[in-house]
Amino acid sequence: MTLEALTVELDVLQIEAEKAFAGAADADALELARVEYLGAKSGRLRSAQKGLGAVQGPDKPAAGKRFNAAKQAVEAAFTAAQARIASLTAARPAGPMFDRTLPGIRPRVGHLHPLTQTIEELKDIMGRLGFTVASGPEIEDEWHNFEALNIPAAHPARDPLENFYLTTARHVGESLRDSQRGSESPDRGKPLLLRSQTSTVQIRVMETQQPPVRIISLGRVYRPDTADATHYPMFHQIEGLLVDRQVTMADLKSVLRLFASSFLGGDVHIRFRPSFFPFTEPSVEVDMSWHDTKTGAGRWIEMGGAGMVDPNVLRAVGYDPEVFSGFAFGLGVERVCARRHNVGDIREFYRNDVRFLEQF
Amino acid sequence: MLVSFDWLKQYVAVELTAEQLAHRLMFVGLNDDGVTRHGDDDCLNLEVTSNRSDWLGMIGIAREAAVLLGRPLTLPKARPHEGQVPAEELAKVAIECPELCPRYTARVIRDVNVGPSPDWMVRRLATIGIGAINNVVDITNYVLMESGQPLHAFDLERLSGRQILVRRAWKGEKFVAINHKQYTLDESICVIADARRPVALGGVMGGAETEVTQDTKELLIESAEFAPHSIRASARTLGLHSDSSYRFERALDPAGVDWASRRCCELILDLAGGELAAGVIDIGRKAAERSPITLRFSQLKRILGIDVPAAEARQILLALGNRELRADAERVEVIPPTWRRDLDREIDLVEEVARVHGYDKIPEDAQVPMFPSHRTDDDRVLARIRQVLVAAGLDEAMTLSAVEEPWSSALSPWTREPPFVTNVPVLRRADRLRRSLLPSLLGARRTNETLANPVIELFEIAKVYLPGGKPGDLPEEPLMIGITSGGDFRAVKGIIEAVVAVLNPSAKVTGHPTRHGLFAEPRSCELRLTCGDVRDLLLGFCGEVSSSALNLFELRGTTTVAELRFSALRAIASLVPQYVPLSVYPAVSRDLNFVVDEAVAWGDLARTVQDAAKPQAEGLTFVDVYRDDERLGKGKKSLLMTLTLRSPEGTLTGEQADAVLDRVVAAVKSNRGGELRK
Repeated sequence: MTLEALTVELDVLQIEAEKAFAGAADADALELARVEYLGAKSGRLRSAQKGLGAVQGPDKPAAGKRFNAAKQAVEAAFTAAQARIASLTAARPAGPMFDRTLPGIRPRVGHLHPLTQTIEELKDIMGRLGFTVASGPEIEDEWHNFEALNIPAAHPARDPLENFYLTTARHVGESLRDSQRGSESPDRGKPLLLRSQTSTVQIRVMETQQPPVRIISLGRVYRPDTADATHYPMFHQIEGLLVDRQVTMADLKSVLRLFASSFLGGDVHIRFRPSFFPFTEPSVEVDMSWHDTKTGAGRWIEMGGAGMVDPNVLRAVGYDPEVFSGFAFGLGVERVCARRHNVGDIREFYRNDVRFLEQF
Repeated sequence: MLVSFDWLKQYVAVELTAEQLAHRLMFVGLNDDGVTRHGDDDCLNLEVTSNRSDWLGMIGIAREAAVLLGRPLTLPKARPHEGQVPAEELAKVAIECPELCPRYTARVIRDVNVGPSPDWMVRRLATIGIGAINNVVDITNYVLMESGQPLHAFDLERLSGRQILVRRAWKGEKFVAINHKQYTLDESICVIADARRPVALGGVMGGAETEVTQDTKELLIESAEFAPHSIRASARTLGLHSDSSYRFERALDPAGVDWASRRCCELILDLAGGELAAGVIDIGRKAAERSPITLRFSQLKRILGIDVPAAEARQILLALGNRELRADAERVEVIPPTWRRDLDREIDLVEEVARVHGYDKIPEDAQVPMFPSHRTDDDRVLARIRQVLVAAGLDEAMTLSAVEEPWSSALSPWTREPPFVTNVPVLRRADRLRRSLLPSLLGARRTNETLANPVIELFEIAKVYLPGGKPGDLPEEPLMIGITSGGDFRAVKGIIEAVVAVLNPSAKVTGHPTRHGLFAEPRSCELRLTCGDVRDLLLGFCGEVSSSALNLFELRGTTTVAELRFSALRAIASLVPQYVPLSVYPAVSRDLNFVVDEAVAWGDLARTVQDAAKPQAEGLTFVDVYRDDERLGKGKKSLLMTLTLRSPEGTLTGEQADAVLDRVVAAVKSNRGGELRK
């Protein structure tokens, strides 16, 4: 055999082998191809090796070199095909497959009521301004709910039908009319009612403590309103009180501004409009400027009521109004919370639909 | 209060638009509820606070606008021409109930021509929503809206005996008002009667039988004062509210009684003709002269925090109608105007000066002194409780403090006393103040069931209301933590144990038998706390709800509920835990499996095991309970547990651990009759 003939044979073999290995669809086909080209007994490479022996003379080293090159190329093609088929097989295992898109095992985490979240935030802000939380009873007497707050007996707010007066169940029949008149109930020394404002707590604190007083009171209050999107017969109030020497309306406005700025963030301004509350004089409605991020326009929104503590209230708790002055302010938590979270109907707060609660 | 802009401008020259004026008025105390267009006129809707009855008349608003704009106020003369015949000869008036009607005045006009009102009056009344009837009735309405003092015109010839008697109604007495509805009266109601019958509900509404018609020739013009509380009660009792009652419910200007009467007669003579009898019949007591009030100018700075010049303060008070008695550099003394019954103290004058001077002058950047505040211990404990409950997968609910029957009676674990009842239901039928949070929470559960919400895990922290206690004291309102869960008894008990463990790791919760109708027998317990000096402190209750109670609350799925006293948790809470040194040696765990009689409770067995394993016992964990009649025998059960041992002195050897286990096995055998399972 000549060198040329051997070279041609090896060229053809190499091309065909590479093609066969590359075209093998699976392990079986590859094995057939391997036997054909690389078979130890009668593979085509083996046959070519026999032809190598027939080359003689000075061409012998070149022929050996050529043979080795062809062998390496064919074997490399086989190894590559093997790896290719192995990877095909590995991608489709017969057993269970790991699915990384399955959801995690999530612990159920509950949600605090949005009103609690709002209350805690308001308490937190007021705490930073030096106001400590004070609490008091929801069932009150007329002294703390009315008289000490400068609401005399003839005041319309004292109307029994504007308040929830209480009797005990065993006396219902006999005493309903009495309780409506607000007169003494048969089982107790004095008529009791659900507090209509948290200012009652201010009275209780001032009765037992000398100025300086800097407190907030908050909690449930009750007024016989028909429930609708903006009213509920029970709601939460937060009230602040500061009594000391030389407390002025400028202090009131400034504290409210700090409070509103902390709550809303940014540059907030406070506006007073004259109003009337029995327990403060002067009394004002408080607006704060609200910067609308969509339109860029600022607008005033109602925040709550405020004023300077009425001298009659100071006198009722034994403070000298010539020595001490103070301010008080109050706001409805539901209204603040509803506006903050875009809740259109405050009755939602008391329906306790878990889908509602889980939004907060 | 609806205000016709055209009408208002009769008293004060306003060069602003109605909207501009409404906006300005907002800063002296009249809230702007919007301006609407009515033909050529504008209607201002102004909100009037309950202290300012003077703003319930057009003149009161005009006066405020005049002060605000620095313009003069022009008022009608109200000086009608009087004839010769004295009014007393034409009619008689008496008051039987001065406590309901302290003062009554009457004027008489004869030979009037009842007919339509002029266009200008019809239009002004229309702007503020009052329809025209005839000139006389329209004039009484007009003067009512002008002055705020309600008036009534009777057809004098139809008043039996030509007389007015102001008295209490008789019980069951019938009356037909000008709205042609019949009302049944009682003694609490003040009526204006003639010789035979009531002809008007005093201060509320006139009667159909004596109203002014086309044929009326003689008029009796009533202008009176009524007691505000009585008017409020009558209007409420009869469900009859009028422009008149709305005003009489507030204390009105005593000087307005006569002025409005004269003004009304002046307009009638102008627009309907006739002859006014001489004088006025004026029965009852006149308002006392007002006492002077002193304003010390120093108080302005002391209360408002800004300087208002004394001259400006005096000017404001004068413009508002106060009469100055004397003034010096320190103070001014004034008599307040009759229409301002809300002014009687120095602080009231401070407010007057402040609101006219302008609250916008008060700075919002005063240096308020710093002050320490602290978070209350109650709030700190509550925050931790909420944290654990939320981490345990419960959502926080808030429910109404009142419930209806029979829910109220479904459970009352804290008192045997009947609940407080409100005079009117708080909401729908809910008129019982709750003695437990659980009925309301089960109600919330039902709401969620009807919405087919799959997971309903709720808690609430709120007060319950317990009648009883010492007379004169306020009732108890303990704070409670209520839970309703879809989990079983152990799941909920576990949450409670977790709450307790967070508040104080050394506190133990024990379960004891209890009986409440709400709970499924026997799957409930009373919970007690033991911790340090606190022994067996009642914490609350926990139990699966019985099927009959589920029916009562219309619940389909099962639920476990619990109610815990906050005060008990507060008592054991350790807000500043103290460090306990830790052993540096490893622990040894041993699994134990004791076969005991069915009646042996885990709690008792566990105590025996732990006591016997002291001092090396570090922890004991319940693993499982197992029953098998064949292998263990009838009436037996096996309790599996893991005991953890550790010593502060060194690593426990196998022999040391086995010695402890031998003590445990011996103690269980002798104290609980249990055997280690082979």
